[in-house]
Amino acid sequence: MISRIARRTFLKGAGAIAALAGLPASARAQMGPVRIGFTLSATGPYAVGAGITQAPNYQLWLDQVNAKGGLQIAGDGRRPIQFIEYDDRSEIETAVRLYERMITEDKVDLLLPPWGTAMNFAVAPITTKHGYPLIGPTVGSLKLKDLGLPYFYAILAQPDAMMQALAAFLGDVKRQHQLNKVGVIHVADLFGLEHQGALIPLLKEGGFEVVDVKGYPLGVKDLSDVLRGMRAGGVDLFLGLTYPPDTILATTQSRTIDFQPAVFYTAVGTAFPFFRDRFKASAEGVMGVGAWNPRVPFPGAKAYFDAHVAKHKKEPDRWASAFAYASLQILEDSVAKVGLDRAKIKAHLDTTEFTTVVGPVKFTRGINTATPGMVGQWQKGEFEVVWPPERATAKAIVPKPKWE
Amino acid sequence: MNVGLLFDVAMGGLLLGGLYALIAVGLNLQYGLMRVLNVAHGELLMIGGYLTYFLYVDLGMNPILSLVVTGPAVFVFGVFVHAGLYRRLLRQERTREELEANSLLISFGLLFILQNGALLVWSADLRGYQYLDRPLRIAGTIWPTNRVVAFATAAVVTALLFLFLRKTLAGTALRALMQAPVGARLMGVNVPRAHALCFGLGAGLAAISGSLLSMLFELTPFIGLPYTITALVVIILGGLGSVGGSLLGGLLLGVVESVGVYLTAPDLRMVISYGVLVLVLVLRPSGLFNALARRPGQAEGT
Repeated sequence: MISRIARRTFLKGAGAIAALAGLPASARAQMGPVRIGFTLSATGPYAVGAGITQAPNYQLWLDQVNAKGGLQIAGDGRRPIQFIEYDDRSEIETAVRLYERMITEDKVDLLLPPWGTAMNFAVAPITTKHGYPLIGPTVGSLKLKDLGLPYFYAILAQPDAMMQALAAFLGDVKRQHQLNKVGVIHVADLFGLEHQGALIPLLKEGGFEVVDVKGYPLGVKDLSDVLRGMRAGGVDLFLGLTYPPDTILATTQSRTIDFQPAVFYTAVGTAFPFFRDRFKASAEGVMGVGAWNPRVPFPGAKAYFDAHVAKHKKEPDRWASAFAYASLQILEDSVAKVGLDRAKIKAHLDTTEFTTVVGPVKFTRGINTATPGMVGQWQKGEFEVVWPPERATAKAIVPKPKWE
Repeated sequence: MNVGLLFDVAMGGLLLGGLYALIAVGLNLQYGLMRVLNVAHGELLMIGGYLTYFLYVDLGMNPILSLVVTGPAVFVFGVFVHAGLYRRLLRQERTREELEANSLLISFGLLFILQNGALLVWSADLRGYQYLDRPLRIAGTIWPTNRVVAFATAAVVTALLFLFLRKTLAGTALRALMQAPVGARLMGVNVPRAHALCFGLGAGLAAISGSLLSMLFELTPFIGLPYTITALVVIILGGLGSVGGSLLGGLLLGVVESVGVYLTAPDLRMVISYGVLVLVLVLRPSGLFNALARRPGQAEGT
């Protein structure tokens, strides 16, 4: 294994040197690679999400662009991309330090974002200060609007839109099935707190009975005591504003204590193929935040899915993966149109409607307003978009089939 | 207040507490005998969990049966770790403080090596499998089958450990060394061998706990450290070096955590654990169940 990788790297390097040697000196200076820096959590609690949603898409894009001969730069032809990447160890202060370093010492041309809301929140002020545009594919926070970060862009539907979609969907369920008792759990970090803050008023407005709202810390080991309380309280609509490890935990433990709500909704991680493979028949009917699947009617969606499978031998997740890839498509398009001048890239981002694998994307004051909040559901091995109706790829199954 | 639910929650905690106890017993055995606090205990647990995962997923071996593989395998690993890292340290005559500080540093190094090694080999992906994760209905109450099975297995393993310590010559030698190191030496106990056995035993018990935990929770290379911390709390609850104390301490912590979380919020789980720890340290520094109230240094037997 090691020798194979080493040989491949050597061949690549040797090839690059041979190619460069044939060029005049003046051209060589310009032909240096475009250096793109980022940190991703290879270790710590964020590593799971980063390794599924962002890292594979960064790699895929790097390969695809370099296979085409490099990144197309307005007025400068194609130049290969070189990644400058670090492990932030899921530590926010480490990520902040590394982004400073990539800007001031490594002097990278462009930056890609780290994984997760809290991380992006922490590095966005620095990248904005230095004028580096950053398009975050794993960011859900309402506070971004207030912070005034003109160089930061969020491509996912934000907590207000996401929770409005969820509340609208639940309103529909309530009308059809007379189900009313809601239980909410949320991870006690920025992601969970904001979504919970957006959701609870909507539920009260919608006339739901909120039986219980419980927060839990990142890296929680056990949720069975809370779930027992919800089962005893007769919760019909279970809403988990969760991160991947706790999404799995809540699902496993609900099964083992026979907690059978009619709607079982969990957040980040539900759309991972790992979830489907882990729970097999029991995944059927589980709902989650999202969603995306290769059958959405947008150009390149299926091709992206197939390329991801071909490169990584695993399917992309059915939510933010496609958005991560779309954010790279947007960056690629911007550089092709306006070059590497970061202020021009920002102007391009502010004014253009992009065509991507997740459909049209348009940033309004840094937030993608072209993608609505959506609800997904596992149905026969595919994560179908079930809400809103105009984006749906299937009809929602309610009540959820009992755990297998 | 729903009393039935409270009972339900407390029993759930008790089942988890049985595993806490098993984790803590291994660590406490090492500390009681060698004054070596192995911070990498949780990493050995993590390795046990991964071994069971692969034995089950790739070879279809029953997770309970896999204990017969994971326990001995990590026992052997523990003996090698002892020979490679600790033997020289323990052989040198030093003050206890020096020994404790140096062994702590070694085990921290071991922690990072094992954790990052696991990350390289197995990646950070979540891994888990379904085994007996169905509800078990007994007299109108619902129990998670896998937790009941894990608890029962942990109880059997602990009972075997007690039998070993009580009934065999090697076990008696270990207890003798704990109670009176000098006397045991004079009676001809082979100290390096006893230490190797003890360290391996602690490692093997960690692996067995990990195998059982893999039935209940997902695995990542980072699951170890929180369990080491839980084990430390349990050990201090039950008394340093007291195996029986660890057992009761584990069960107690499981119940207190679950009931506390149910009455307050899951955010407070760590606060509850540490709150109990601080209370015990202030009120009964020798441990809740150390009837003789000895100082931590003069640990008793089982």
